[in-house]
Amino acid sequence: MADSSKSSKKTDQQVASDFTSYYLQRVTQEFAEDLDKVRTADDFKNDALPLLVNALQQGTALFSPEDQRRIVTAEAAAAKNDSV
Amino acid sequence: MGKRNSRAGDLGGGPRKRQRIVHEAPTAEEIHASRQLFQLLAFDQDSTRARHGLQSFKLFLDALLARGDGHENRFRILQDFLQVAQPSEGEGGGDENRIYLPDIFQTWSHHAQVGNDNILSAVPVVLALLLKMLSQTLEMVPFGLGVCRTLLQKRQLELISRNLSAEKGKAFIISPTLRMLREAICFDGGAIARPIFRARALALKSLARNMGIVHAGEESEEASKTPSVRTNAVLFLLRALKFLHPEAKRELLSQRDIVASLTRDIKQDPAYLVVEILNGLRDHVLLDDKVQRDAKSNLLNAATLIRISSLYYYRHVIPEGSDLPSIPDAAHDFLVTACTTPSCGVLRQDSGLYPRETDPDAAVPSAELDELGLEAIVWMNRFKNEVPVRNYVLSNFLQNLRPWSSVKQNELVTAIFKVAPELVADFFINNKSFTFEPKLSATWIGYAAFLFNAVTLPIPDNFCRTPSFLKLPPPTSILIDNILPLPLNQKVLVRCLAHKSKMVSFFATRILVVAVQKLDAAVKMHQDASHTNKALWTEAARRLVDEFCQRSPGIKDMINSYRSIAEGDILHREAASLLLRLYYEVIPQVALMAKFDVSPFLETALGRLSKQQMDDPRDVALNLKELENLLAIAGYSPGMRWFSASEVLTLSPFTALLKVYVDAPHGVALTKIREVLNFVAVEQQLVPAQAGHPGLLPLLEALQSSNKSSSGLITSLWPFLDNCLTRCATAPIKYLETMQDIVEEASKDSATGLPGSVVSPIIVAMLEQLPFVTKAADKDVLSSLAKFLPKFLSLSAAAGESRPLLEVLLSKMSAYFSGELSPLSKDKSKSKSSTRTSEESLTGTTLVSGLDRKEGTTTAVINDDELRQILEVSDNLEADNSALVKWTTKTADELLDEGYAVSLVTLLVSEHASIRKEALINILKMAAKVQQSEYEEKEQVWLLLSELAETAKGHVDDGPLPSPIVAFTCHGLRVLRDPLSSLYPKVNAFLTHSPVWNLDRLPLVDEILVEEPSVGDSYYAQLNWLLSYLIDSLRTPQDLELFHKKRVRGPLLERLLVLASNSYMRLPLKTQILRILYQATSVEGGSTTLITRLGIVNWLEARRSACTDVGEAGLYRALERRVWESCDKERVSAWSKQGIVDITA
Repeated sequence: MADSSKSSKKTDQQVASDFTSYYLQRVTQEFAEDLDKVRTADDFKNDALPLLVNALQQGTALFSPEDQRRIVTAEAAAAKNDSV
Repeated sequence: MGKRNSRAGDLGGGPRKRQRIVHEAPTAEEIHASRQLFQLLAFDQDSTRARHGLQSFKLFLDALLARGDGHENRFRILQDFLQVAQPSEGEGGGDENRIYLPDIFQTWSHHAQVGNDNILSAVPVVLALLLKMLSQTLEMVPFGLGVCRTLLQKRQLELISRNLSAEKGKAFIISPTLRMLREAICFDGGAIARPIFRARALALKSLARNMGIVHAGEESEEASKTPSVRTNAVLFLLRALKFLHPEAKRELLSQRDIVASLTRDIKQDPAYLVVEILNGLRDHVLLDDKVQRDAKSNLLNAATLIRISSLYYYRHVIPEGSDLPSIPDAAHDFLVTACTTPSCGVLRQDSGLYPRETDPDAAVPSAELDELGLEAIVWMNRFKNEVPVRNYVLSNFLQNLRPWSSVKQNELVTAIFKVAPELVADFFINNKSFTFEPKLSATWIGYAAFLFNAVTLPIPDNFCRTPSFLKLPPPTSILIDNILPLPLNQKVLVRCLAHKSKMVSFFATRILVVAVQKLDAAVKMHQDASHTNKALWTEAARRLVDEFCQRSPGIKDMINSYRSIAEGDILHREAASLLLRLYYEVIPQVALMAKFDVSPFLETALGRLSKQQMDDPRDVALNLKELENLLAIAGYSPGMRWFSASEVLTLSPFTALLKVYVDAPHGVALTKIREVLNFVAVEQQLVPAQAGHPGLLPLLEALQSSNKSSSGLITSLWPFLDNCLTRCATAPIKYLETMQDIVEEASKDSATGLPGSVVSPIIVAMLEQLPFVTKAADKDVLSSLAKFLPKFLSLSAAAGESRPLLEVLLSKMSAYFSGELSPLSKDKSKSKSSTRTSEESLTGTTLVSGLDRKEGTTTAVINDDELRQILEVSDNLEADNSALVKWTTKTADELLDEGYAVSLVTLLVSEHASIRKEALINILKMAAKVQQSEYEEKEQVWLLLSELAETAKGHVDDGPLPSPIVAFTCHGLRVLRDPLSSLYPKVNAFLTHSPVWNLDRLPLVDEILVEEPSVGDSYYAQLNWLLSYLIDSLRTPQDLELFHKKRVRGPLLERLLVLASNSYMRLPLKTQILRILYQATSVEGGSTTLITRLGIVNWLEARRSACTDVGEAGLYRALERRVWESCDKERVSAWSKQGIVDITA
């Protein structure tokens, strides 16, 4: 299939970075309320933001490269499908 | 108020205590000729004139170095001057003793005696500039070398030394001297570095002190543009390190005061100097292979590392436009290199998870190991509160870092843990002050991130990075500290999971996921085939799992946490379901303790996916991941109800899953779901269970293609399909019989050979249900079916089902429609695609069996090792004599919850009469202790132990107690601890039945196999318990006798074989029965008994041909081989008249 061959062309690195951005977007959406609370915590200083982002995106390690590809390419495949 | 003295009075008055130093600006003149320069620099006792000359020369050199207008002219003047100033051959003796620029040095010497600070400063200033100038022009280098050598003469060295050790406040003297020395040491590529070092007593005088003279004043050093004494001293030291030979560097670095001063004030240094220090030390010490290790170690002691780590908080502003890197980043890079590169002198080779004082290859007498197990290893329990490490510098250093406060520090600590795994346990043991008590704050999140990293670190190869495993396992406490570090205790983790902020629970879940994965890896390493003392490693693995269970939250906490997650939080749901799945896969004994019914969760997940409310296909894919996890759990836990209606779903879970499969957006991978659907369909006999049959694929394809052509068509079909599927699953035999009737009927009518033809029972079920649809006269459904049924039947025919029979069925179906149904298509291309997909499905792996299917074969080949791994279980009744004394100090809770009671009970199977007697007495004592305690189930426990003692009393002298009695007690104790257990009523009923048990009977077998389960739908759960207890019960030939002894309801082993033929029983339970058989083959004479008394070979053959799973078939085949190989072949061959030999060949 043309769409799947196109999506499989993504390098592992691209897949990882696409997945990380999807993961972060998802996680900030799910925990928006708690993240707001953390931002107002007493110990939240300048260094804390990168720390928070780093902590959130660690979770990508729970997904194998195959799973990441599966999730990321779902979008590409669907987009292709819609346009047909 | 008294009148103040006027200031004017002071001016002319007596001497003040501290005279203010007034620097008068020197005069100067422009130089136009070399002769003029010569005159200006000629020795003069008058300080003003001497200063005038030196200042003029300084300005001249400044202009030269700036390469401004008139550069060539100035250069010529300098050349001429040097020509004249060159000492003639032979003057002053040897080359070493010649004095270059004698007038300047004489001026310096004279004014030093007089104590004229201005001249003491001015001379090194011009010499530094001159050397700098000379080093830039090749033809002038010899003169420069001459000047440098002059500096090294004793008289000059004394002047230098005097300048260097001037009072702290006289930076204007010290700084230029250091600059001059710096120019000298790097002159001509360090040509005179060695002699300078030889004269270190004078040339390096007060270096440590000078490195401590920092910039004073309100504005910063960068802003004042005058480098401090410290800056000049540090730069000189760095140049020295660059140009000195390794031995000299070693000696230099062995001077503690110098090393200490170098970094003491580094946090206050200007950015460029910090970068110089870090780069200089890295390039010329750390990465210089010729510098010995001890020299590097002297430099990089814990204090230096701690000071450099203070740069993580460096606050000086880096001037705009400079290309300097960020200081925290530079310090981080330096520390990572310094701490993780073995050649840098800090990192020492450790032995992984074996602490310093262990001897894992020591020979422990096997008798001791057999008797005491892990307790025979003296160091096994020694490291719970302290770990002796080789990397003590890093250990000290780590305690000063705050990995929870910044990403970089987190990375540094993790990087160090990675190269020195011994430090993980040590770090957390020493860092007890910091708890993981949940709180939604930046610090807690930082700590969670750090712990996540620590847990994610891989276990070192073979636990100690050696090429093979060592003889003895690593200490359990160290290993568990690597898997679930100390701050992650049960109490805190339970609180995290139940915390009101869902993010806290999410972070804890993620950490637990990686921890279980790591535990899995560790347990597998314990089970490696290469271990020489397998029993010992098995015991260590068991201990590890026990420890893990004590630190991790209970499965119920995780289930509750999962239950409380909101519908829309798909990432959180995915993580929590993954955690549950991992528990089922890695520590099923814990997971199965909770009676977790996955059905409602599966139904909710299916319901969510069927609603298709998600806009982003990636969300759908993520939801499918959660669904896969739940499906896997359903495969592991007994009693998943696939075809019962629920409140949540309008359809049965199976049809709902089918709907999810058909409706899933294009591009989402569905392989695993297809496998599960097919597995359940075969198991429930919706489709024939023949090898090579396409299974459910024609139905899946028909639904998918109908959905593509018109989605409305399928929507109206679901209730009908669900009805047919549920009916077919409830009574498959009925439809098989109906099919036979149709075949016979059709065979009478036509000449076509239908006998033996088979189609999927589900098609027959559809035919049966059609009249009801017609009766309801739902036009939508009828028109949809008119399109769908021919398509489905065509695909079934194309996939290899009997075409004539399908044609008969289609014609029967046509009767219920007003128009004629289109005939079966003969499209070959369809058939190709079906065949392809069916092969795909057959070569895939099933989630449930976990065994590889091999293409082209109907039986997977399982070798003896694999068979042993699958079926062998460790001896849970293995006697541990230390249990006799261990229990005495424990409380009732500990006795029952931590297994001390069980350990004591197992001693009744000991071979030694004295041990058995001791055990009996102790059991009675323990029973009394429990009864007097506050333990909730104390009465029942007392009763169980007392009855056991009563039963054992008359028999302890005769030999070990039958294993079933002891195994029952051990498993019974676990049931009594949990009143919610479905077996609780049965065990209690058994206890109240009789004060003494019959040694010939196996307790509770009939009660479970024959009687109704007293609690709801718990038949399979109770069976699971029974089988586990029976596995432990079969250890000796005497035990085996009890298993095949004739009884009213037949020998127990026969009844177990009948049980395994139950087609509704899942593979995990069947495997338990196979384990009992495997145990029997391990008992002396067991295999022969199995063959001659039970006909086990025929049974295995029959099971093998009946099962559809190639992996399962392989298991039967391998077990058959095992039985044959371990039996008395001669006797069996004679008994079977060679028949067995032919079968097993």
